[in-house]
Amino acid sequence: MHYEGALRFLMEEVQYMALAFMAMVYVAKVLWFFRKPGVRDKAPLKGDPAVGAVVSLGNIFMPWAMESTRLHWFFYLEFVIFHGAVALTILSTFLVPFQLMVPGEGFSRIVVAAMGLAFLVGLRRLVRRIARPELRLISAPDDYFALVVLNLFFLSGIWALGTGEAAGMWVFFIMTTFFLIYVPFSKISHYITYPFARWYYGVNFGGRGVIARAVKASN
Amino acid sequence: MQDKTVAMKTIQEAQPAIQPKEGPKPAFEPQDIPRMLEILDKRMNRLLASSLAACVHCGLCTEACHYYASTRNPEFAPAYKADLLRKVYKKRYDWLGRLFPVWVGGKDLSPELAEKMYDLIFGACTVCRRCSLNCPMGVDYASIMATARYMMAAMNRLPEGLKATIDVHLETGNNMGISEEELVETLEWIEEELQAELDDPTARIPLNQKGAKYFLTMNPREPKYYPLTIQAEAKILHAAKESYTISTKYWDATNYCLFIGDGANARKVAQWQAQDVESLGCDYLLAAECGHGYRSIRWEAANWLGRQPNFKVIGFQELMAQYIQEGRIKLDPSRNPKRVSYHDPCNAAKSGGIIEEPRIVLRAAVEDFVELKHNRQFSYCCGGGGGALTMTEFAKRRLEAAKVKAEEIAATGAKILATSCHNCLDQLAEINRHYKLGVEVKLLCELVADALIIE
Repeated sequence: MHYEGALRFLMEEVQYMALAFMAMVYVAKVLWFFRKPGVRDKAPLKGDPAVGAVVSLGNIFMPWAMESTRLHWFFYLEFVIFHGAVALTILSTFLVPFQLMVPGEGFSRIVVAAMGLAFLVGLRRLVRRIARPELRLISAPDDYFALVVLNLFFLSGIWALGTGEAAGMWVFFIMTTFFLIYVPFSKISHYITYPFARWYYGVNFGGRGVIARAVKASN
Repeated sequence: MQDKTVAMKTIQEAQPAIQPKEGPKPAFEPQDIPRMLEILDKRMNRLLASSLAACVHCGLCTEACHYYASTRNPEFAPAYKADLLRKVYKKRYDWLGRLFPVWVGGKDLSPELAEKMYDLIFGACTVCRRCSLNCPMGVDYASIMATARYMMAAMNRLPEGLKATIDVHLETGNNMGISEEELVETLEWIEEELQAELDDPTARIPLNQKGAKYFLTMNPREPKYYPLTIQAEAKILHAAKESYTISTKYWDATNYCLFIGDGANARKVAQWQAQDVESLGCDYLLAAECGHGYRSIRWEAANWLGRQPNFKVIGFQELMAQYIQEGRIKLDPSRNPKRVSYHDPCNAAKSGGIIEEPRIVLRAAVEDFVELKHNRQFSYCCGGGGGALTMTEFAKRRLEAAKVKAEEIAATGAKILATSCHNCLDQLAEINRHYKLGVEVKLLCELVADALIIE
């Protein structure tokens, strides 16, 4: 499928500009972060900070390492589906403009299926956030909006990649543009902040001999 | 009996001026807010910034907190408690939060918000770090809570008992204001008791002995209320033929400044301890079985002082495990025939890395050791951490929050509950009475001393 005119401009030039904007905001954020002092124990260490950091960063792939994910394994499964679908959807926004992915065929069917599952997960997460008092208490409009808008993104992706219709492509890529501009300011940018938090936590408590043992110890 | 050295004089000179004795103020005032924000700005480091920024409000930390697990009060969810400071962070630092604070949950710090922080961050958090171990994002809640506590304490808004404990420590060198004479008298009495118990006049408790290998610290509760703990420690050290001493100056293992994140005063206390150990030329500071005391001197002191002291730090639990593994002490577990379980003190385990050593000790010292359902670094806090025992205004909540721990203890069928921390010991004793568990609560050294085979 070949895209022409304004749609092609949206898929390429507009995306590049939005991507550049996103990168600039992230660079500014990271520079701000690195201007702050680091934290490192000065006492002789008991454990290995490097191992702690690796274990801490790899924690995402070890649902058994935390009670919160071990007991709530379905929540972890939802997390894998949701974030896997996000990654595939982002990948699609790069593949489609270069005709490396044909809507309605082959790989796009897998992506559409993933987005469909992620949409259901998103709905469930929204209900959970509204229904559980402790989550309502900590939720800001951005928390609800992130779920709603991601679910709309999945729907637009299903439309665009499932059918290949131009209208679907327009909606999908307008939403992509919106995300590239909005995400750096919203909670969705946690994928940028998360590695720093896990790194510092892992280095400090790996050094103290707490983190790396978390994998071996059982509750 | 005392060995007054030039170095001691230096330590006395380093002692700060006596703190004002005014009590804490009853409420925040509008003029406190700019100063509190200034503190937040000064303390913003990468660990704190990433911990404040990374939370996605997933709620997975909720059940990790013993306050929530015991009461199901949504305000006790760790993310909510941390959000009280995070709201301020978002309003002050987050770009979107500065423009549209409501959108991201940002809020200006106000006396009302500060009061909420006071209630939940002092009164419903023991800074145990169990939530952090269950946070997928790696949020270090303790650094958030320590910052919030210091912002409040610096305004002289902190629980009265906690303030009094710190003030007494800064004024007298130990947190119970025990005089040197009283301490020496107690130690001499315990030495006589030890000699009578062992029928050995060479069993001594050496005071201010220069060049000893170990400098033994104590929790002030030991000379004040639990002198038999000192006897147990001395018995073990005597059995191992160890070279050790107790200083009559800075022997207090505790450092309650940790609980309010007060680095400046924590540094003073750590400096007294460090100078005292260095002046006696000891190789090791041997930390009493005191969770936060161990963490303070083992891990935080070097950070506060900005240097590694000229001695090593070892916990009494670690040394006992070492003796057992090296065969320096022999134990007869049949002398402790009752079922024993172990509560891991949060500061020693989750923040200190003492995890397997107590198990090495217990397997050698008792016949029937069983784990609590949640153990090691995943153990639920008993409720006595973070200085909670000094905060009488929150005592009812502290005991309610211990329900989950009480249920776990009861489920083991243990007759003795061992621990390695005096704050835990006192809280567990209260839990024992409140929930009618019918267990004896003991420190590890007491069980080891009972099992010792003296040759």
